[in-house]
Amino acid sequence: MSFKSAVITFPGSNCDRDALVYLKALTNGEVLNIWHEENSLPNVDLVIVPGGFSFGDYLRSGAMASKSKIINDLINHSKKGGYILGICNGFQILSEIGLLKGALIQNKRLKFLGKNCFIKKRYQSDFNCLINKDQVLKIPVAHNEGNFYCDDSDLKYLHDNELIAFEYCEGKFSNSIANINGSIDNIAGITNKDKNILGMMPHPERAFQNFHSSQDGKLILESLLS
Amino acid sequence: MNEDLIKQHGLTIDEFKIIHKYLKRDLSIEELGIFSAMWNEHCCYKTSKKWLKKLPTENNIVIQGPGENAGIIDLKDNDGIAFKIESHNHPSYIEPFNGSATGVGGILRDIFTMGARPIATLDSIRFGDITTDKTKYLLNGVVHGIGHYGNCIGIPNIGGECEFDSSYDYNNLVNAMAIGHVKNDRIFYSKPKTIGGLIVYIGSKTGKDGIHGASMASDVFSEDDEDEKRPSVQVGDPFMEKLLMEGCLELMSSGLIESMQDMGAAGITSSSVEMASKGEVGVLINLDKIPLREPLSPYEILLSESQERMLAVIEPENNEKVKSILKRWQIDYEVIGEITDTKRVVFSSKNKNVVDLPVNIIVDDAPEYDREFYIPKKRKINDFDLTNLNIENMVDNLFQNLNYLEKSWVFNQYDSTVMGDTIKEPGQSSGIVKIHDSDKVIGATTDCNPLYIRINPEKGMEYTVLESYRNLVCSNLKPLAITNNLNFASPHDPNIMGEIVLSINGLRKSASQLDTPIVSGNVSLYNQTNDRPIKPTPVIGMVGFNDNYENIISNKFQNESDLIILIGNTMSKNSSPYFLQDQLTVKKVTQFNELIDINYDLEKKNIKVLYNIFDHNLVTSCNDISRGGVFLTLIKMLQNNYGFNINIKDKFDIFCEYQAGYILTINKNDYGSIKNIFEKNQIEYQNIGEVTKESIEINSKKFDYFKILNDYLNNFEKIIN
Repeated sequence: MSFKSAVITFPGSNCDRDALVYLKALTNGEVLNIWHEENSLPNVDLVIVPGGFSFGDYLRSGAMASKSKIINDLINHSKKGGYILGICNGFQILSEIGLLKGALIQNKRLKFLGKNCFIKKRYQSDFNCLINKDQVLKIPVAHNEGNFYCDDSDLKYLHDNELIAFEYCEGKFSNSIANINGSIDNIAGITNKDKNILGMMPHPERAFQNFHSSQDGKLILESLLS
Repeated sequence: MNEDLIKQHGLTIDEFKIIHKYLKRDLSIEELGIFSAMWNEHCCYKTSKKWLKKLPTENNIVIQGPGENAGIIDLKDNDGIAFKIESHNHPSYIEPFNGSATGVGGILRDIFTMGARPIATLDSIRFGDITTDKTKYLLNGVVHGIGHYGNCIGIPNIGGECEFDSSYDYNNLVNAMAIGHVKNDRIFYSKPKTIGGLIVYIGSKTGKDGIHGASMASDVFSEDDEDEKRPSVQVGDPFMEKLLMEGCLELMSSGLIESMQDMGAAGITSSSVEMASKGEVGVLINLDKIPLREPLSPYEILLSESQERMLAVIEPENNEKVKSILKRWQIDYEVIGEITDTKRVVFSSKNKNVVDLPVNIIVDDAPEYDREFYIPKKRKINDFDLTNLNIENMVDNLFQNLNYLEKSWVFNQYDSTVMGDTIKEPGQSSGIVKIHDSDKVIGATTDCNPLYIRINPEKGMEYTVLESYRNLVCSNLKPLAITNNLNFASPHDPNIMGEIVLSINGLRKSASQLDTPIVSGNVSLYNQTNDRPIKPTPVIGMVGFNDNYENIISNKFQNESDLIILIGNTMSKNSSPYFLQDQLTVKKVTQFNELIDINYDLEKKNIKVLYNIFDHNLVTSCNDISRGGVFLTLIKMLQNNYGFNINIKDKFDIFCEYQAGYILTINKNDYGSIKNIFEKNQIEYQNIGEVTKESIEINSKKFDYFKILNDYLNNFEKIIN
């Protein structure tokens, strides 16, 4: 069965092309690019909300994009059980919409962070089922607001319902600590309660080709396809 | 017109007399503003033109040399790359965040104005003594600004350099380079074709920022200038630039644009004059039509350097289509004038012509100076006493000096993997990106050795070009062409002028020897505060090519037990300038020995043999040797907890600079084949040791592997905080 997918582009999105390339390389179905002013999404299995600086990050990262026309139908898509993957700014947008718990605030060190980071699976979902427990993935991050924050009751909710998909960890030959941006409980990515929506700060679409410094990003889309 | 007003506009009385004699009338204040903007060094190269003309700018792959927004090189199959480097030095000292951010914005516009999609940026930044709060503030602001702009617009930053030297205490340098990919049948130029074509304004509204920015950039600072000149610094909005870039590229790929010019230095004045001059036509522009952020006088509109603005010429029947594309991208758009056949630049406001000048007096009659210059004296020969130096102190010295440390604090603030085509990220000998939808790769590096150039401007420049060349060769890239950014102090000092003249001559020699033409560039003079000049800093950006990314050689160790081979000649302890400066703290430029003569034969011989052994898959990794010698090169090659064990006869040679110097690693089993090839080509080489795991040993002295690694990777951040 062919797997159809779409990527939404907002003004200021800059990883939309990368997400399209990622989907085209690893899925066997149609891959569509949807402009944020569209009223409805086509019938697809997966929607990627890509990284970038939608609306210049003005007001707050993701805040303006969360009010775009297309968002109503994105919410419908999620209610129908369709998959959504929000990467970086996409994660921020999904949080602003309220599809995911918590918020992404400025990195603890108050600086943009662009480097390879290391993550591993915390709780299982369709997005990480091919990844072994304790398997360390190397995937780039590039963000200024990637510090995941939520209150104690939300954190308990995330743990109780096993919604933490990925957490930062130490890698080899790395002079950095595991927690690169100050996120609570090293959280790098979370799902919603139904586990059909994943928001993550690392960019799997920058780690899958043979010339990339890692191919670990494949595992996320391959998990979904498996 | 009164003399003070003329001088305030950066013109000399003699220059004013030329204008007056030609026009035979007094100038309006707006016209004076135009000459001020167009006749400064930044726009008309009046000091450097005579010498720049001597540079080689052509060969069979150059599609566009200097004179357009960027140079363009042919990569075959209709692929081309556009690239250029540009300085934003003065603004970055006065307001580091916005000054450097708009430097990135400006160079990106130069690229997409030509129809090329930017695919990479690099930056070459220099600061003074890090112990001062001022330098820390500048470093933080500049890096933040470069990152902010490039990250937001989504172009990967793939490399550059960051140097500290007290000559930059009062004049830090920010040079930004950008590279774009273009289809060769879709290149756009600034030259308009149609008389009656509509001149359209695209992008941000015009405000008061940056008025007289270009003439500020052509003046010496005095210490109290900083606050006074801050309003001349432009403020950038990378989100707007992203929209502008997508909008313009869509217009160009739809064939709706006839010509385009970005409004950079000297804003609408220089962009419209440029168009008129290139097309040998006239322009008629109604200043009342310019979209404004706030009420402005005609004078202010003409000289504003507000960012993210473009001027384009379109055929009248395309007007509605252009409008609708730009509306989708939420970009301001206005028809502001037309192309005429008068060969005059005319700006009107409220039904009155406030400027009416023939194009040729602004452009062709711009002053050109042949300034007096001195050639440096011959040097005495010194033999230096190095008895106090042992390997341990030399290692310690390096790791206490910012110039030798890993600078991930800088480049981790940049997004280097966006666009998904990055192959080598910053911190390696060159950055490398793949051309999207093809196997071709482009590598780029920026370089300058100011100390070499101060010692001998001509040879120093040749060494700089050679170092860039080696940076690319060691990844198996073929260097193609150069963009240059000539940063110097005031040319009114004949010693400085000598540095300018001789280093351009060195650039000419080396570029001719290596067949790497200069296709674009920028000149930044007056980098001087009172009597404190910067070291001569002619930065070059060089691009290299390989037609398949799979041929790229790693700069880092790949396997334990690989042999480590050294080729090239040491400059030896008495003639390695950085070694002497940083290990022996030789400070005065007069104390250094003359630079060793350039040996192009050796350089070329080594390059040729490297390509040969790369082609035979005999090399597992390779890196070139520069400041910090063999030792630092090996440290840069560490990854995955690999270490090294080496032996070199003269311990100083481990830290000295090299001619044609490279380190390569090979599988033990390939040693015989390598030996054969080297002997056949008469290459002198040394098998200096092997790759180990988690250990470092030099001439039988063991070092603490994790301490060295930790110092190298983390000391930068410790020192700057």
